Amino acid sequence: MSGIAKDSVGARGHRDWPKHAIVGCLILVELFPLYMMLQVSFKDNAEFINNPWLPSNPASWHWENWAFGIRLIGPYIANTVFVAVSGTAFSLCFAILGAYFFARYKMPFSGVLWSAFLVLMLLPSVANIVPLFTLLKELSLLNTLTALIAVGVAGGQVFNIFVLRNFIEELPKDLFEAAEMDGASHFQQIINIVIPMSGPIIGTLAILAFLGKWNEFLLPLIVLRDKELFTLGVGLIYLDGEYVKQWGQIMAAYFIASLPLIVIFLFCMRLFVRGLSAGAIKG
Amino acid sequence: MAFPISRQKALREWRLYLFVLPSLLLVATFAYFPAASAIYHSFFDWSGGDTKQLIGFGNFSRAWNDRVLWGAFGTVGILILFNLFKMIPAVVLAVLIHRLKSERWQYAYRVLLVIPMIVPSLVTLFIWKFFFDPNLGVLNRVLDVTGLKHVLVWLDGRVFHWHIFLENVPVGWLSQPDLILPSLFIWGFPWIGAVGVLFYLAGLQSISTEIYEAAELDGVGSLGKFFYIELPLILTQVRLNLTLLIIATLQGYGLQLLLLGETGGPGGRGMTPGLWMYNRAFIAGEFGYACAVGMILFVFILLLTLFNNRYVRVEK
Repeated sequence: MSGIAKDSVGARGHRDWPKHAIVGCLILVELFPLYMMLQVSFKDNAEFINNPWLPSNPASWHWENWAFGIRLIGPYIANTVFVAVSGTAFSLCFAILGAYFFARYKMPFSGVLWSAFLVLMLLPSVANIVPLFTLLKELSLLNTLTALIAVGVAGGQVFNIFVLRNFIEELPKDLFEAAEMDGASHFQQIINIVIPMSGPIIGTLAILAFLGKWNEFLLPLIVLRDKELFTLGVGLIYLDGEYVKQWGQIMAAYFIASLPLIVIFLFCMRLFVRGLSAGAIKG
Repeated sequence: MAFPISRQKALREWRLYLFVLPSLLLVATFAYFPAASAIYHSFFDWSGGDTKQLIGFGNFSRAWNDRVLWGAFGTVGILILFNLFKMIPAVVLAVLIHRLKSERWQYAYRVLLVIPMIVPSLVTLFIWKFFFDPNLGVLNRVLDVTGLKHVLVWLDGRVFHWHIFLENVPVGWLSQPDLILPSLFIWGFPWIGAVGVLFYLAGLQSISTEIYEAAELDGVGSLGKFFYIELPLILTQVRLNLTLLIIATLQGYGLQLLLLGETGGPGGRGMTPGLWMYNRAFIAGEFGYACAVGMILFVFILLLTLFNNRYVRVEK
């Protein structure tokens, strides 16, 4: 939209500052919990009680809160990174293969298979969790990270295949035909045509999948028992229950738990913002 | 659409089936099998082990008379109403950002909106739990600093007689049965879901400027523009969001589990059907009954989805 056209969107003769004020206020309140998290993470309980609102003097910042947080949360973060990265990678690999199957040709039974996938969108995951637990027990996957990865990958398939199929079908058919003439196998067509051309959508799906796995806590809570295997979700829940509340340490741990996502965000901010809007349109 | 393909060619291309096999196996194992197992086991008295006893519709007739379960459905109904109300700020914010003239500011606000999303939702949840803390929590301090506490105490003592807000006694947001639902309402203030706002902004972008110009010539005010132009055009997104929100609220129990514990807090006021299912399975060890509760919940969600597909059609 050009700047001139844009002018008519805002009512002519009205100033923009009241809108800025409202939007700014709402966003400030929205960001307030994060501000509290950050500034409390440098205080001990006594300082916090005396001065809850403003950051304390940087000279007296309690960096040991952060050291404590890293010691406590570090192993959980490592486990979560492992689960989230491998889960996202497997999830997208399988989804690309599956989507290619549905998008490329109308094979016999592909209609049946497609509806078999779509029906899963109706199944609420909530009714599954009890039998899933016993299934994992029978497969002796309880208390393993493999269980989290496998269930996560399975759970992501429907949505990812759904989005990717639509996308691959929009790709120009000539590309595939030309590749086939040159004797490219289906696998080569995926590597050389599908993946390069659907980079942004794969990136968006990857971010969504990664975020989802990072935030997961219900499944880890019932699957994991050993402290060494805890992912962030369970780790934070135990942290909430276990310690005599040193809020500074806890807030530092919370902030450290967010750091990997912040790093990703800084590197792909555009993909994040665009991806979320685009993902929103696709539903 | 995918190419149609002849039978001979399909036979030659049989390897393509291998492409869909991994997804299919995973989905069959971790989605279809548990679902079938849930239906099957809902007819058994089963505590998760090898021994189980067929009791027909025993679990369902027990559920029919289960006061806690139906109370939980009532609670979830109230939570859905709360969440409907909580959709409003996102719509308002999206429209306000959309109406800003400067595209640079629009982008800046969008980035600022995404920032809370990069904090794990669990962390946000625990920060809110900390806000609710009676002695150190921020919420009570805000009430004290702004003097709202006195207003609440006055209202309580003179008008409503709740006996909840007392002078010099910290408000126990998560420990007072009568405050559980209000706490769940306040939770997440100012209720701006970044995904929702971006979602609406994407819809608003499709409004052509001619419509605005025409409206302006006709002297339509900003409120009129909202109701006649903007709201109808994002109605698709609002409806879709609404459906997803209702289904998520209906089956959700993570928030309640972490804020209030597996019994749904004092007096069980925060109990939802999903939480009751979790409670029966993993606290009481009544897996069969938990499966039955899951099935009942599933039927509710299915009916809602079908109703939605029929009457709240989302136009593409």
